[in-house]
Amino acid sequence: MTDLLVLHTLRCMGFTDLDRVADAAGLSAPEAESRLIDLAVAGLVTRTPGAFGGWGLTEAGKAEDARLIAEQRETAGATAAVTGAYERFMVLNPELLDLCSAWHMRTVDGVTTVNDHVDAGYDARVLDRFTDLDRRAGPVCADLEAALPRFGRYRGRLTAALAQASSGRLEFLADTTTSYHAVWFQLHEDLLVTLGIPR
Amino acid sequence: MTSIHPLAPETAAGLPSSPDASVGLAEDVLGGKAHGLRTLAGLGLPVPPGFVITTAACRAFLRDGRFPDGLEAEMTAAVHDLETAARERFGASNRPLSVSVRSGAAVSMPGMMDTILDVDPADGLRAAVEAVFRSWRAPRAVSYREVHGIPHDLGTAVIVQAMVFGDRDERSGSGVAFSRDPSTGVRAPFGDVLFERRGDAVVSGQSATRPLSDLAAREPAIWTPLVDGLDRAERHYRDACHVEFTFESGKLWFLQVRPGGLSGRAAVRVAVDLVGEGLIDRATALARVTPRHLRAARTPRIRDVAEVIARGVGASPGVASGRIAVTADQAVRMAADGPVILVRPHTSPLDMHGLAAAAGIVTTVGGPTSHAAVVARSMGKPAVVATAALTVDPGGGRVHCGGRSFPAGTVISIDGTGGEVVPGTAEITTGDTDPHLDRLLGWAQELP
Repeated sequence: MTDLLVLHTLRCMGFTDLDRVADAAGLSAPEAESRLIDLAVAGLVTRTPGAFGGWGLTEAGKAEDARLIAEQRETAGATAAVTGAYERFMVLNPELLDLCSAWHMRTVDGVTTVNDHVDAGYDARVLDRFTDLDRRAGPVCADLEAALPRFGRYRGRLTAALAQASSGRLEFLADTTTSYHAVWFQLHEDLLVTLGIPR
Repeated sequence: MTSIHPLAPETAAGLPSSPDASVGLAEDVLGGKAHGLRTLAGLGLPVPPGFVITTAACRAFLRDGRFPDGLEAEMTAAVHDLETAARERFGASNRPLSVSVRSGAAVSMPGMMDTILDVDPADGLRAAVEAVFRSWRAPRAVSYREVHGIPHDLGTAVIVQAMVFGDRDERSGSGVAFSRDPSTGVRAPFGDVLFERRGDAVVSGQSATRPLSDLAAREPAIWTPLVDGLDRAERHYRDACHVEFTFESGKLWFLQVRPGGLSGRAAVRVAVDLVGEGLIDRATALARVTPRHLRAARTPRIRDVAEVIARGVGASPGVASGRIAVTADQAVRMAADGPVILVRPHTSPLDMHGLAAAAGIVTTVGGPTSHAAVVARSMGKPAVVATAALTVDPGGGRVHCGGRSFPAGTVISIDGTGGEVVPGTAEITTGDTDPHLDRLLGWAQELP
């Protein structure tokens, strides 16, 4: 039987390395690798070697993931709940992207430049707004988890990223592959795949 | 309390217009957008008839949860005047009046609040005005103000204007026009135009616009008054300006004006040129160019953008040159042999390896907050987004632009400040040898 946990985690991450898949799926690296190899044997995932290499889905893997995820959604009777949560997510999404832009770029005196992170007050205000947005995202995540328990992992990963940022590691807002933005974007991708909406 | 002011009082009353029409009602009362429209009307430029509801009315509404006393009656009277003016301006009365209802605060908050188009004044106007008032408190707008240190108690003005239709016929269209090239500061009208489309299509970045200069050939009757209007606005503001405009059945309308807004080397050049043109003095030029402009002026830029393949929106500053790759997988493969520019319709997590491998990123859709823009900035790579003139053909392994076609592997350069995509490996300038900057810095030493 297809290992949907690893297949779908990788589907929403896109293309990434073993450690990150394992972390996102909540598995040890050897366990995740073993499952990825089984999926590769089935022709659903592939590993690209080289400096920018990593694991990704094949076209067959994407099709199989879409089929299994739709089946899971229908079996759980979760279509209405996920659709409602998706609509609320899409209200929050532009604000999250605004905040990522505010984190990277800053406009002062009409000049937009790269945020040099010299102004701690500005960075703190951006972090505050991430925290406020996260609070408002909480009920959306809870409803998704109630509808389909696999969505519960996002809440934990978002909380972990925000906790890192709040403790001073501000690169966890939007600058790393485990940042708040990266996890948020995977949740967005998951919602699209789950509802069968093309990007 | 007077909560409503006409956008063009003198013109509506048949009196000569005065450039000082807006003096006395400041931006904090009318908002920046309405203030600009009254200024344009005062300069004798065509602005669709309409009125503005003050920020004070918005504050009262947000405080009390209802329209302030008298606003309803003022609005009824204003709509009556608007209908009269619209009949005069548009002629035939067989055209049902439809209005746009736009936000416009004293401080620019682009895209954060509501705009409602095609409102029937008899029916939906009150609800639309309330919706725009309320959008001041939309969570996204609140976040924007928090981050940018804008007070929460200002409120927004609301502009109600007769709709004009850029999609009415083949002699209609919409555009954005700058009095000077915003990338270089060169004194020449610059911008984008979309024929037979409305303004929202231009601003969204989803449609392939034409260079503004196309207007000169196709609609000289629009081009001439547009250029004249830009010139008058410049002389009034004593600064570079940009306008949003629509033309309907061969008639031009100005919908917005903003002075300034240029940065880096363009701001330096404009300040120096305006001194040469006698519009400002040296002290004013020096006051306008802040240390931030000078720092931005040293961001690497493409030296010569005479031959561009396409222009998008600069989303992550810097210049990158490399060979075109049209998929993430291709970018990874090609990156082993030298720098690659990844050109995609848009990006998602599925493209992360390609974004990591590429030296620079171009997308055809999506704006400055898109995934590609956010990721490129987090990686410190130049990016150009919303390059709507390009079409990516991953199957054919090519990028198309108008009638031209560029196979994967073609060397291009991109400028993530100005949004230019140019052929070949472009020469880069870092502003150290900028003659305008030299002159400005020379003045700084001469002044006491």
